[in-house]
Amino acid sequence: MASVEISGLRKLYGSVVALSDINVSIPSGTFYTLLGPSGCGKTTLLRTIAGFHSQSSGDISVEGRSIAHLPAHQRDVAMVFQDYAVFPHLSVRDNIAFGLKQRRIEANEIRQRVDQVMEVVQLGKFANRMPHELSGGQQQRVGLARAIVVRPKVLLMDEPLSNLDAKLRVDLRAELRRIQQDLGVTTIYVTHDQEEALALSDVVCVMEGGVIQQAASPLDVYLRPANRFVASFVGSNNFLDVDCSGAEAALKCGGEQVLLDLPNQHSGDAVCAIRPEDITVVPGKGSSASDRPEISIPVRIKEVSFIGREMEVFGVTEHGETLKSVSRSDPSVIDLPLDSDAQFCIERHNLSFFEKEPLGGRIG
Amino acid sequence: MNLSLSRQRLDFWTVVTIAIIVMLSLLLVLPILRVLLLGFIDPDTGNFTLGNFIEVFTRNYYVNGLKNTLFVGVLGTVGACLIGVPLAFFTTRFIVRGKALISTLAILVLVSPPFIGAYAWIMILGSNGVVTNFFGNFGLDIPTIYGAHGIILVFSLKFFPFIFLMTQTALNAVNKSLEDAAENLGCSPWQRFYKITLPLVFPAVSTGAIICFVLAIADFGTPAILGRGFRTLSTIALSAYRSELGGPPTMAVTVSILMMAISMLALLAQRRILSKRRYASSLTNLPVPVRLKGWKNMLVHVLSHGIVILAMIPSAVVVYTSFLKTNGPVFVGGFGLESYQRIWRDAPEAITNSFVFAISAVVFITIASGLISYVIVRRETRAAASIDFLMMVPYLVPGVVMAIGFVTVFRNGFPDVFSAAALLIMIYFIRRLPYGVRSTTSSLRQIKPSLEEAAVNLGATPLGAFMKVTVPLILPGIIVGSLMSFITAINELSSTLIIYDSGTITMPVQVYVAVLDGEFGIAAALSTILLLSTGACVYAVFRFTENRDSAFL
Ligand SMILES: Nc1ncnc2c1ncn2[C@@H]1O[C@H](COP(=O)(O)OP(=O)(O)OP(=O)(O)O)[C@@H](O)[C@H]1O
Ligand SMILES: [Mg+2]
Repeated sequence: MASVEISGLRKLYGSVVALSDINVSIPSGTFYTLLGPSGCGKTTLLRTIAGFHSQSSGDISVEGRSIAHLPAHQRDVAMVFQDYAVFPHLSVRDNIAFGLKQRRIEANEIRQRVDQVMEVVQLGKFANRMPHELSGGQQQRVGLARAIVVRPKVLLMDEPLSNLDAKLRVDLRAELRRIQQDLGVTTIYVTHDQEEALALSDVVCVMEGGVIQQAASPLDVYLRPANRFVASFVGSNNFLDVDCSGAEAALKCGGEQVLLDLPNQHSGDAVCAIRPEDITVVPGKGSSASDRPEISIPVRIKEVSFIGREMEVFGVTEHGETLKSVSRSDPSVIDLPLDSDAQFCIERHNLSFFEKEPLGGRIG
Repeated sequence: MNLSLSRQRLDFWTVVTIAIIVMLSLLLVLPILRVLLLGFIDPDTGNFTLGNFIEVFTRNYYVNGLKNTLFVGVLGTVGACLIGVPLAFFTTRFIVRGKALISTLAILVLVSPPFIGAYAWIMILGSNGVVTNFFGNFGLDIPTIYGAHGIILVFSLKFFPFIFLMTQTALNAVNKSLEDAAENLGCSPWQRFYKITLPLVFPAVSTGAIICFVLAIADFGTPAILGRGFRTLSTIALSAYRSELGGPPTMAVTVSILMMAISMLALLAQRRILSKRRYASSLTNLPVPVRLKGWKNMLVHVLSHGIVILAMIPSAVVVYTSFLKTNGPVFVGGFGLESYQRIWRDAPEAITNSFVFAISAVVFITIASGLISYVIVRRETRAAASIDFLMMVPYLVPGVVMAIGFVTVFRNGFPDVFSAAALLIMIYFIRRLPYGVRSTTSSLRQIKPSLEEAAVNLGATPLGAFMKVTVPLILPGIIVGSLMSFITAINELSSTLIIYDSGTITMPVQVYVAVLDGEFGIAAALSTILLLSTGACVYAVFRFTENRDSAFL
């Protein structure tokens, strides 16, 4: 259990910048998740913390002590690997005991701690099996047990669940969270699955292009994304162009312009973000009035897909922008013919605004 | 920043990389450079000159040697292809009974001591050979084995397994859909073979052919035993070396450079040809062997088994001869163990020397190939790439050349600190190291790097992770590599002939000397011992590998 402090960390592969100026502060016991699209530098950051490659500059410290220049085997940060990395020539018990033997712990204690951890990860009856006699999920439990049994200061996991099937992933995910909370070990977890990130974490750190875009609680990342990238990557979002001046934004809506209040002063182009689940679909033509608490955007229905409990409705505005709505299935909407007219209604307080560029900041 | 760099420089594997580079520079690069250098120096004045090469390219003695070498090298390779390619085609495309036996025998031919073929054929087709005498009884004078045609025959029968095994692997990987498509487009089976199948396996055939060619031009024992005045560059290099003893071995070295140049050119040519033909093989639709009927079936079986039996005849003759009753050099009829008694009495040290030298070299090879493979596979540095490249060099440098380089570096240049025994162990080590490295490297490539990282992450030092995780996992590869180096080290003749002294004679040298003296009984008994140890290793390799054939290539 330890706090982790990363400051000014940069990593270059030749001329490729994989990480640029990473600053992170993780309080002790936090479940900290790195989330981002493929190639954004999550693995690189994790492996730099583990010491598998050296940073180009910057510092990493655990409990206030710098580990940035320690060789990997002295860092006392335990890692769970995406491909399990269970030693194929050692039994389950010997795999789990490996790190303890390395630390020259006395045989009796090793036995005790291994037995204990095997109960925790529910591997008790597999102690003497060889890895090839285990399923993928069981192998990953061995990987986890092997890492936590050494009582590391920090636990690192690089997409530990990504090689497992969907059902197992959800089960093991809950178990992971339980174990982490019981042990209270500071955990840095890498995933590109946002649902996993939101469900597990104390803090979600969204990365893109080797840069941290936002690090905050799952709720904040979802409800108050720091910039347009986070808004579009976490959950899905519709973006409509707006024209701002002072504290007002003008949204083109049918033939007229709807004026929206901006939380903050801004001038020029911007985008207005609308979560699909905030859109209500109302069949038929209607009119939008600036004084109503909700705005309604006239669209033509392009596609309606019924996916069980929910339905997805895609509509095209008169300006050719496609909007997606997700809501409780409603037969009157599902039966709408293609190209029929409808209104997409949104309450004003559910709108948020961002500068127009891909990484544009939040307005307000 | 600076701190982290200096730490990186001193990590365990960096130290190992440096040690490997130093070792290879001393044992491999330096001797070859010395050979190259000596070739450009006038032995009398010590000045730079091209005169040695001019002499080699103008004096008939050398020019003929060059022509002869190329002649037997090319025709031996062609012969090996003519035997190996059809055999591979038969065993992969038709159902042939005893396929495993054919492969096993081919492998035995491949690893059996190279010079055995030559003198065994003398016992069959030499001036006093069994077959020669048999026809002689009827007043028929059949041509003897001596000379170019004999050397070509021996090369073809000795080297065809390379072609056979490589082509077989390639034929097994040809996508059957391609052949089906050809047939569907109107090709007869024969057209399909030479328009589609053969071009597809051409890269494999040519790789096998290059190996044959390089081995054939470097081969010393066969032309030395069968030549009778037909001299090749390797025999010329050795006699030049002998006649220049005391002075700088200038002419021996110049001829050696020529041999190396031929090998390199052959390799470059093959690379060029191959660079334009890269066929990714997809294993979607594997070829299915056809069951032939009637006389075709008979013919294929007779040819397939006939070829390997023919190639095994020398070994059989050698073993048989070793148990013949002798009185001195004369076979007196009936069976007896006199030959074995005589080597036991006269030359027991040849046996112990061979084993001591080969085993010592292999111990070092085992350790070095583990470390070298790790550096080659896991470190993406330029140093690792150059080590990888250097590992190809020993295949290309003929034994005679390497030995002359060793002598000039470690005897004439150095204070004479190395005994002949130490030099022999060193030269076996460096020449056979690539076998160990190749096998270990290919096992290591199967191991996920995350396993080693996991060990380091759990607190193992880099060396600890290597010993506790990597080595146990690549052990089969290490063992196979070591066995292969042992087989090739204990059968080494050409470089030993240059370095050995009275106390360090080995079995192959003793066989060579015995054959020149007409002591066929002794030669046969020693060869039988060599064959037995080789066969035992082959058996062990089979036990340790899943893919039997490719382990030997
Ligand atoms: N050894 C390397 N040499 C050069 N570039 C590299 C190397 N390893 C990674 N990169 C680059 O660094 C960037 C970050 O890679 P990284 O593996 O950290 O991505 P990631 O976020 O883990 O992606 P994924 O979700 O696909 O695993 C990528 O653009 C990648 O191409
Ligand atoms: Mg990754």
